[in-house]
Amino acid sequence: MAELSFRNIAKRYGDIDVVADFNLRVEDREFIVFLGPSGCGKSTILRMIAGLEEISGGELAINGKVVNDLAPRERNVAMVFQNYALYPHMSVYGNIAFGLKRMKIGREEIDKRVRSAAKTLGLEGLLDRRSTALSGGQQQRVAIARAIVKTPGVFLFDEPLSNLDAKLRNHMRVEIARLHQQLKTTTVYVTHDQLEAMTLADRIVLLRNGAIEQVGSPREIFERPNSQFVASFIGTPAMNFFEVDLAGASAPCSKKARLAIDPARFDLDGRSKVVVGIRPAHLRPARQDETANIIEGVVDLIEFLGNDALITFKYAGEEVGALVPAQMSPRVGDQVRMTFSDDNLHAFDIETGRSLAKRSQGRP
Amino acid sequence: MKIRTKLPIVFTAPTMAALAVLAFVPTIDAINIALQNRDLSNPDSLYVGFANFRALIDDPRFLNSVSVSVAWEILTVAATMLVAVPLAILLFETTPPAVRNGLCVLFIVPALLPRVSAAFVWRFAFHPLFGLAVYPLRLITGQPIDLLANPHTAMFTVAIVDVWQWGLLFAVIVVKLLETLPRQPFEAAKLDHARTWEIYAYIAIPMLQAPLISLVFVKMVESLRAFDLIYVMTRGGPGIATETLDMYAFSQGFIESGRISYASSMAVLMMAATTIAFTVLWRWARRWRET
Repeated sequence: MAELSFRNIAKRYGDIDVVADFNLRVEDREFIVFLGPSGCGKSTILRMIAGLEEISGGELAINGKVVNDLAPRERNVAMVFQNYALYPHMSVYGNIAFGLKRMKIGREEIDKRVRSAAKTLGLEGLLDRRSTALSGGQQQRVAIARAIVKTPGVFLFDEPLSNLDAKLRNHMRVEIARLHQQLKTTTVYVTHDQLEAMTLADRIVLLRNGAIEQVGSPREIFERPNSQFVASFIGTPAMNFFEVDLAGASAPCSKKARLAIDPARFDLDGRSKVVVGIRPAHLRPARQDETANIIEGVVDLIEFLGNDALITFKYAGEEVGALVPAQMSPRVGDQVRMTFSDDNLHAFDIETGRSLAKRSQGRP
Repeated sequence: MKIRTKLPIVFTAPTMAALAVLAFVPTIDAINIALQNRDLSNPDSLYVGFANFRALIDDPRFLNSVSVSVAWEILTVAATMLVAVPLAILLFETTPPAVRNGLCVLFIVPALLPRVSAAFVWRFAFHPLFGLAVYPLRLITGQPIDLLANPHTAMFTVAIVDVWQWGLLFAVIVVKLLETLPRQPFEAAKLDHARTWEIYAYIAIPMLQAPLISLVFVKMVESLRAFDLIYVMTRGGPGIATETLDMYAFSQGFIESGRISYASSMAVLMMAATTIAFTVLWRWARRWRET
């Protein structure tokens, strides 16, 4: 059990700032997911926690103790790597027991703990096998067993499911969620897969260019994105964005797009242009008598997704995606007229991309 | 189908035939000579069966040369690996890649030197009066020390030259092998409470087991052929302290008595012994790796 605190953490390679001024507190037992595109610094931060990368500036504390200069083995953390990083010349048992042997734990105790960890992860029958003789999913399970057997204060996962195929990935994701429910160990999990982030995290830390874009529960991040970047990164299919000219401050509504932007919800502050966003799932076919919030166009692509179909059409020069029930899907070339409820509209500053939602409406 | 199965044979046959001629004709000739009593001073010779081999068993100088050869094998192979692996680890752990590459080039230079030249350079370095290598010893003891003339130190001194050439080269090879290893198991081991030496002892070296065993075999073959080095530095001396099997065979055949058949029987024995020894060791190494 442990809590983590980052104070002004920085990482520089030569003149390049990979991470600058990173501040975060991870509570005990929390499952934190670092989410972001490739090169956003998420793995670097994870490796700094592990002690595999030096910290260029700031202070990292585990359980209140500054660990900047401690060796990895002195930090009481365990890590699961993307490519499993098993010891190829050892058996499954040897892999799981290796850390315990180095910790000078008694033979019987090691045996007990290895077998119990193997049982948790369903590896009992494989203990004598060579680690290289296992499938990807089994190898990752061994890697997780190797991490939990040490009963560390913090678990670190570095994109642990990226090398698995889709079906196995879902399965392992559920297992990791269960494992956390069972063990309640503080966990930092790095991924670029928003589905993993949404389903596993207590809180998501969304990173971009080495800085935090938003920290919040999956729900907060999905419903109240802080910026256009967050809004576009979270949610599949991706959010639709339009530039909107505001016709007069009293009745903010664009001429081109008949979209009502409620000044009670958004801090428009005299802007004449904003970017609005609406998720494909929030668009629905409009009734004939509805005239507000209308987006229309000619369908030029339909992607069948099972229950739903994603239809794509052009509106005001932008590609718009809308998710409709598959049975009600129009055909390519059909004219569609979609609408949405005001609550589902997001608005962002056109320059900075920051959300214009008022604080009372927005995140805490 | 017939054409498809025969075609590879057709293509490889000329090469295989050439190789077979090169390998087997001298071998068969050596065996043939070993069964006669040929002598450089006499054009005639008779087949004497295994008389030469029987004589060898009772020849104390032959037995000495066998034990010198075995000692030389063990000494040079072990010393080379004991220098190469720790040196490689030291380089890998402590130097940045650019420095490491520079040192690697430097370490290859001794191996590029022809063995005879290296032997001459070092023979002079060990010269009791002018030698650079023995200069510190001379300073400490205040008298000239001839390491190559002392039966207790001669073999070690020659071995130093061998290790200077091969240990450094092997260190470069091991460094390059270490560089090819994936980093993640090392990082996992760091998080698994392993100290640096434990990472190498339990992770890196076991991961390099196969290439390291191959290097040992390469060095074993190479050490067998140290004739030129020993010849230049000691000529098998002092006395017979560094007289290896091939050195003794050479001196029996061409220097002392011209007993070609006697020398040849030694060569045949040496070939048989090394073939058997290598086969056994190779099998043993493979079985050991599999368990």
